Amino acid sequence: MRRGFKRRFEPVKLLTDSQLEAIHTATLDVLERTGIKFESEQALKLLQKNGCIVDYEEKIARIPSYVVEEYIRKTPSSFTVRARDPENDIRIGGNTLYFMSSAGARYTDVETGEVRMATQEENDQAVLISDALDTIDFFPSYTPYFEIEGVPPVMTCPTSCASRIRFTSKVSRGAQATDTFIFETQLAQAVGQQLVGVCEAAAPLSYPEDAINAAFEYTQAGFPMYIAAGSVMGGTAPVTAAGATISNNAELLGVIVLIQCMKPGTGVCGNDFVTPMDMESGGFLFGALGVNLHQMAFNQLWSQLYKIPTVNTGAAFSNSKLIDYQSGYEKTHTAMASALSGANIIVLHGGVTAELAYNPILSIINDDVANIIGRTIEGFEVNDETMALDLIESVGPIPGTFLNKQHTRLNWKKEYFVPKVADRLSYQEWLTQGRKSTIDKARERMEEILSTHTPLPITPGQDKDIDRILEDARNHYRKKGLL
Amino acid sequence: MAVDILDELRNMVTQFDIDNAEAMARKAIEQGVNPLSAAEALTVGIREVGDKFGTGELFLPDLVCASEVVKNALPVIIAEIEKQGKELKSLGKVVIGTVFGDIHSIGKSMVATLLFASGFKVTDLGINVKGEKFLNAAKEHKADMIAMSTLLTTTMMEQRNVIEGLKKAKIRGKVKVLVGGSPINQEFADSIGADGYGATAPEGVKVAKSLLGIE
Repeated sequence: MRRGFKRRFEPVKLLTDSQLEAIHTATLDVLERTGIKFESEQALKLLQKNGCIVDYEEKIARIPSYVVEEYIRKTPSSFTVRARDPENDIRIGGNTLYFMSSAGARYTDVETGEVRMATQEENDQAVLISDALDTIDFFPSYTPYFEIEGVPPVMTCPTSCASRIRFTSKVSRGAQATDTFIFETQLAQAVGQQLVGVCEAAAPLSYPEDAINAAFEYTQAGFPMYIAAGSVMGGTAPVTAAGATISNNAELLGVIVLIQCMKPGTGVCGNDFVTPMDMESGGFLFGALGVNLHQMAFNQLWSQLYKIPTVNTGAAFSNSKLIDYQSGYEKTHTAMASALSGANIIVLHGGVTAELAYNPILSIINDDVANIIGRTIEGFEVNDETMALDLIESVGPIPGTFLNKQHTRLNWKKEYFVPKVADRLSYQEWLTQGRKSTIDKARERMEEILSTHTPLPITPGQDKDIDRILEDARNHYRKKGLL
Repeated sequence: MAVDILDELRNMVTQFDIDNAEAMARKAIEQGVNPLSAAEALTVGIREVGDKFGTGELFLPDLVCASEVVKNALPVIIAEIEKQGKELKSLGKVVIGTVFGDIHSIGKSMVATLLFASGFKVTDLGINVKGEKFLNAAKEHKADMIAMSTLLTTTMMEQRNVIEGLKKAKIRGKVKVLVGGSPINQEFADSIGADGYGATAPEGVKVAKSLLGIE
């Protein structure tokens, strides 16, 4: 089991109790009066059978508040995901914080910020690098690259899933694009691991058929679920943090009900992925103030009131095109606000250029960031040894020193985190050692990982199974006229 | 009197008065305003908003709300134009939409609004538009241009499919094709045989004008 980081204090509360109640009650009102659109008759029938008021023409299920609250209670407060390697199993929820790798459509050049399509080899290498990074516990679907050179778009998700099975033994999320969930489920089962299934809303207040089909497939396979409703404040959600919290909350609680009806007791984590709209271009603003406020409110609502595990995706990307100061601060302040307010999973490593690009070098830098954030929420020990009262007394005022004491020698490594790629040289050393930047040092670490790290191998039989399932997928899409 | 109400029509666009737009247009028509002048007043208003959007003085919600004012007011005015047997002049007819498989509407709506503000007649087919629908709309409206938007790397190839469809229907020569969307660039636009590409909405309008030989 991967340990993750353990938060040792009550999470930061952004909202007062009465604000929290107001938002929860308003959410119940949206679910009961406005309802959620589910583009699936099967889902609507199931919801009707379980107490929802269904309008089949509009495809809307109105969910009474007692039904919503009943299914919130029935959703586990934590759950385990079985990895290919038992050491990489994770238990999502409680006071545990895990980090998840980010993604990008394409490969970005670290020097120029130029973006191009990644090759299959680059995709596999990026997965292998993430396998080697200690702070990556969990992979998203279609990661790290949404597109791979030479792979037709419809085959990207199954191909990406296969690459993650071959090049990492860590846990991974499935995708929901047309029928990919059928083949990703088979791929996971072929190597005896679980996926975390996915069901993503199309805001406002709607679930497309693919998302619902994916949820049926994944829950039937006995996989836990990752639900999300990526909305943009001012576009597909109200522009205000309070309004966007309510609409996003309604989207996610609506599908909590559906999933618990599909398979009672299914573990679910709710992902908050709401960004303010750029009012000049209409684009998403990753790393903006609104992301922090929204995520902190969401974490408080879900961890305090609902006791359902949370994922935060705000730190996954930056609008910067480069690995630079902006991408550094945008990802870090967002991830820190998430961690302090009790997120169970933070999506962080490697994404820049507003979802358009990824680079493993940034993942390596983010590995240090994740360690510092994780260690921050673990706080520090307060006991006789760490308080060092006798020592302070014996050292006394100047010329006393702590450097020549066993206490310092024995404790500093426990108390510190030493970043692997930060530049901490003196100025003169920095000059003589080739003026290396963090990026240079991360590149060196990347090369070292590529030449030394070997992921836990799959068996030749499993390898054959993967090829066969991918061939089945190609045939399936050919028959459907999609390939 | 008539001058006042034309001013009012223009002002309701620049003041984003969505709720009163239709009633105001109706009032103008009832008062016997020339419907062509009424339409022109709306265009002047939205052009003013579009210009201020271009210079960064106004923002996307302003542009979209001004466009809503026009959308609410225009049908009444167009009905009157048709009733009087007149014709609304335009720089050209554009059919616009977000391609099949893609449900992102913001970029496309920005371009549609700015094209309208510039004096084009715009038919907005919305989102998730199948190739066939682009084709039929282009024929039906005798479009001078098809404008296609995509936000996903997985749907950008759909733009090529539409262009291939135009070729098969033997109307490729009659209609210009403008493409845009965050994953694409000039190189991609050239590779699929589009006539023009705009990286931003205002640039898209500029390219649209130059493709149709408009100053």
